[in-house]
Amino acid sequence: MTKEGFIRRFHSKAFGRSLWVFHTNVGACNGCDIEILDVLTPFFDVERFGIKLVGSPRHADVLLVAGPVTVPMMEPLKRLYEAVPSPKLVVAVGACAVGGCVWFDTYNVVGGVDKVIPVDLYIPGCPPKPEAIIYGVALALGLVPKKVGPVRAGHEIPPELEEAVRQMTLARQLSEVAQASDTDPTDGSEQGGLK
Amino acid sequence: MIKSKIKQLLIGKQAGTVTLPYPFSPRPSEPGYRGRVVVDTDKCVGCGGCADVCPARCILITDESPFIRIIRRYLDRCIHCGRCEDVCIYDAVHLDGEYELATTDRSDLFIEQVLFMGTCSRCGRCYIPPNPLDRLMVVGFRKDEKWSGQR
Amino acid sequence: MTLQVTAESVVQAVKEKTPILEYYSPSDRRLYLTVAKEAIRTVADMLFNGLNARYLISSGTDRRQTDGYFEVLHFFAFDRSNLRVGVRCLLNPEDLEIDSITSVIPGAGWAEREIQDLLGIRFVGHPDPRPLVLPDGFPEDLYPLRKDYPYDYKPPLDPNKKFPFKEPPADTTVVTVGPFFPVLEEPSQWRLFVDGEVVVGCDYRGFYNHRAIEKLGDSVLTYNQACLLAERICGICGCVHSTSYCQAVEEAAGIEVPVRARVIRSLILELERIHSHLLWLGLACHIIGFDYGFMQSWRIREPIMWLAEYLTGSRKHFSINLVGGVRRDIGPDQFERILSVTGQVEKQFLELVEAIEGDTVLRSRLEDVGILTPEEVRKMGSVGPTARGSGVAIDARKDHPYAAYDLLDFTVVTHDGCDNLARTLVRIGEIFESLKIMRQCVDLLSELPEGELLGEIPDEIPPLKEGMHAVEAPRGEVFHYVLTGYDNRPYRWKVRAPSYQNIQTVPVMLKPGTFLADVPITLGSVDPCFSCTERMEIVDQAKSHSYVLEEQDLIDLSRKRYLKLKEQRGKAHDQV
Repeated sequence: MTKEGFIRRFHSKAFGRSLWVFHTNVGACNGCDIEILDVLTPFFDVERFGIKLVGSPRHADVLLVAGPVTVPMMEPLKRLYEAVPSPKLVVAVGACAVGGCVWFDTYNVVGGVDKVIPVDLYIPGCPPKPEAIIYGVALALGLVPKKVGPVRAGHEIPPELEEAVRQMTLARQLSEVAQASDTDPTDGSEQGGLK
Repeated sequence: MIKSKIKQLLIGKQAGTVTLPYPFSPRPSEPGYRGRVVVDTDKCVGCGGCADVCPARCILITDESPFIRIIRRYLDRCIHCGRCEDVCIYDAVHLDGEYELATTDRSDLFIEQVLFMGTCSRCGRCYIPPNPLDRLMVVGFRKDEKWSGQR
Repeated sequence: MTLQVTAESVVQAVKEKTPILEYYSPSDRRLYLTVAKEAIRTVADMLFNGLNARYLISSGTDRRQTDGYFEVLHFFAFDRSNLRVGVRCLLNPEDLEIDSITSVIPGAGWAEREIQDLLGIRFVGHPDPRPLVLPDGFPEDLYPLRKDYPYDYKPPLDPNKKFPFKEPPADTTVVTVGPFFPVLEEPSQWRLFVDGEVVVGCDYRGFYNHRAIEKLGDSVLTYNQACLLAERICGICGCVHSTSYCQAVEEAAGIEVPVRARVIRSLILELERIHSHLLWLGLACHIIGFDYGFMQSWRIREPIMWLAEYLTGSRKHFSINLVGGVRRDIGPDQFERILSVTGQVEKQFLELVEAIEGDTVLRSRLEDVGILTPEEVRKMGSVGPTARGSGVAIDARKDHPYAAYDLLDFTVVTHDGCDNLARTLVRIGEIFESLKIMRQCVDLLSELPEGELLGEIPDEIPPLKEGMHAVEAPRGEVFHYVLTGYDNRPYRWKVRAPSYQNIQTVPVMLKPGTFLADVPITLGSVDPCFSCTERMEIVDQAKSHSYVLEEQDLIDLSRKRYLKLKEQRGKAHDQV
């Protein structure tokens, strides 16, 4: 059984009836938070599936995280994750939580929830539509099939050139390694000459 | 007070049930919605204009060898602003209305595109000849070594 | 208060007090002064108290690479005269100390602490010089906004250093609200000092949400990329930030924006205001336990979101602005839908307002709670509905017209109740005004010829030019200052969000004697972050044990008060 198939079967067993969700913001711009609230309102009304926002992580099955995880929020997020009883699902909502958005590498941002706690489901979008969040939850419950996958496309390399390509790639990689060893990262020079 | 409560009840009654039957019946997004990023590799010439304008810096370009360029799009941090679509002069990038992008694996949000490119004999940079016939003939060997003695 | 001033009269007035080293005025609505750093407190006092200027924000810049000094800029606005003034002080990198102006202008407290954190400039005489922005334990000799600090360097944090909270007054209990936030918005932490059920003081620790946006805009992204970054400062009023940023760059570079693009900007800004106010109204109702209002106002709001998606391609983060204009046109085939949605929202919202305005229990939760006097508004520099609810009619749309607001007819809604109810009524009134403006924009668009949406942009934006611009966001005035730089990117970009000033007024509004149950709605009434209601930790100092209250408990507390009031009202009713 594939990992995914296992997760799906496990989820449908463990979370068969109603999911209680604890929603948290670890540095998001609020766009995702509003869309999460939006799915509770009359037009989307996820409470018809038994999904409910709860006020305490100890009551929750699902931890819904929005935001790129700022440095001061890292520890509280870990504590929050530990506070949710197992089995638990962690859902990363929005481009920030999934991959760090525009600020994925700045000095006060960790960049993605999965760098701090394990994530089970990713809902990309900036912000995702309420429909996309409902779809994500349905996917986690195994009700709908997954629609995306990695795309690898492009030109075929002609067979007579394959050997040449291989050698050139190798040469480039070697030169990169040589360059990297020239500038030793441990001496701090890569950090832009901090004084 | 009581009058106010009666009015409130009437509003609720008047509006009725507005809940959308979404997960059970499809709900297309509005025309022009910026959702999934779709790249047409046949149209892409590998100019890298999209990588220049992307605010999330999620389009990375590596030249594996002088005639192989790999464009990687890490769509996990894509903000769906559609600037790549704006600047592409060959209409190779398009953001369609698909929003059901949730996944259990972050690596699903990834597009890797291998471009087999010609090399400009003057500046040494890669390009894709727009005409497929030219593409067959120019198989991307850098001519530097061959012509270096003649200059 | 309605003293008319011009750039020349301000220069004259300052000259009488202290010599001006240098000044220039790029247009009759802008003035930049350079004064000696010893004189800054005198000048600030003269502008703020003498000329009745409104304090905007302070900004610091590391200009060692270009001119060899640091600078501190304090911004002031003269609302009735449509004039904005920047007062500059140059600091030698060897001697980074300057007089604090917080003693003169209390609202400058945070801005100075921020500059102290990010640039290492010390403010002498600051009443509360604790760190503000950076995480606990950040190395003391590193200043991220200096140009030699790489934007992606994460220094190791010292785990032993904790934020120095204020000592609570004797015989009080500390109630910590946050940092786990909750329903909405950014994490922040409030420590309320309570005596029984009554609040006697509070302390704030926020900036858990600091994402290094200004640094990213200064050092990595180009002008157009930073525009989309600006939009992502806030998920509710993002378009406001990108419009303000674009206008600042346009002013610095002298780019003329086509009229059609300006009208489209106004239309989208009003769309955003409606959705934001409806959202706020719903959440305010939710906080005081009136979930009916929450559901109904969000139901009315949803067609607005669909309209936004239809017009701009996204429900939030419309991404419609670029430096020089807008990206999408709004054509004649779209007018009909705009008009039908605005008509429908107006009708439904009017019904809702009529129904709930007679709800006496709701009123009693809002009336006379969170009093903020006009004098305090001026001192703290609060803006938007928070100020207008105290009868202070400041509105950037009227006072400093931008986009197409000089072509549009609307009134500034004010109310002089000074309490939570007044702020609510101001927002309700503004929704109707915004619907009116949207219809006017549609009329304007149908009259205007179709044409260019982007103004003519020079090949290179000249370096080291300054621009500042403000936009009236749903929460108040958003202010952006841009100093253009080299390599197609800003050299310094300063953002002042309205909540920055408004949150500082919360300690003023939580006057001694406020009930604990009224704290959430008072925080909520400035529309900062409902986040604060998430989790409370109660430390009973006398018994020295602590327990944790969750958001739900706080909301329950708030709701119990609602029910109690309802009972009392009911009894009173029976007696009548």
